[in-house]
Amino acid sequence: MTKTYISRHPLEGRIPLEPGIRAVDHLEVPRRQAIVTVMAADGEDTAVAAVLATMSEPSLRCVGPGEWLVVSQSETPEGLQRSLALVLAETAYVLDQSDGRIVLRLSGPNVRRILAKGVAIDLHPSVFGLGAASNLLCGHVNVNLARTGENEFELIVMRSLAESLFDDLRLMGREFDLSADFSG
Amino acid sequence: MASLIHCPHCGVRPSQEFSIRGDASVVRPAPEASDEAWHEYVHIRSNPHGRHREHWQHVAGCRRGLVVERDTFTHDVFSVTDGAAVAREGGR
Repeated sequence: MTKTYISRHPLEGRIPLEPGIRAVDHLEVPRRQAIVTVMAADGEDTAVAAVLATMSEPSLRCVGPGEWLVVSQSETPEGLQRSLALVLAETAYVLDQSDGRIVLRLSGPNVRRILAKGVAIDLHPSVFGLGAASNLLCGHVNVNLARTGENEFELIVMRSLAESLFDDLRLMGREFDLSADFSG
Repeated sequence: MASLIHCPHCGVRPSQEFSIRGDASVVRPAPEASDEAWHEYVHIRSNPHGRHREHWQHVAGCRRGLVVERDTFTHDVFSVTDGAAVAREGGR
């Protein structure tokens, strides 16, 4: 018997189909995103970092020493994994995470004040500048937080915790009338 | 509880992001060591009042094992080093 699997976004039940009015502070949820974990082999940290730095489109998220998440809007998960595995060859382990992680993009003038309600790090641009990324706790949920613009942050969260984090973010943003919608 | 830990990889983080894995000063005996030595290593711990070296894991951050030297009485943190670096220094 063949079984058809339908890919379903975990936030489909949370976000209304009709897009509401977009507020200045907005939570955007990309429907599809390629996310790949890259882990450098023993002693290859700097070599892998140098190779990843030369790649143009996909953005790089630091997770820990010798470990990154590579995120791409345009590439397919398989394509991104294949191209990274090809470039990095024996120096790193490359693993597709696209089905297991969800990206949430917060943007607007008040995002720092919204995030400050759940995140314990200093988000000032002089400390957490453009391109900075780190694993941290948002409330009680593990997330990878990255600054993607002056007033834009991206959170990568485990799929099973996405609903919980989404609810938390809505609550944190209620003061600023945070709106939420799918994109892409 | 020491509330802020300066992780060498992530910067200053609240202690809620870490998990304490116990005494870092005990050294694993050789596989052929006596039962007494193994019993000592696995079960016997001192409960010091003052400076203490502990293994902390930054579970919600870089996920690295760290060696934190802190005062169990005043909660002062003296040093935080990556566990792998400490192990290399010790020739392990």
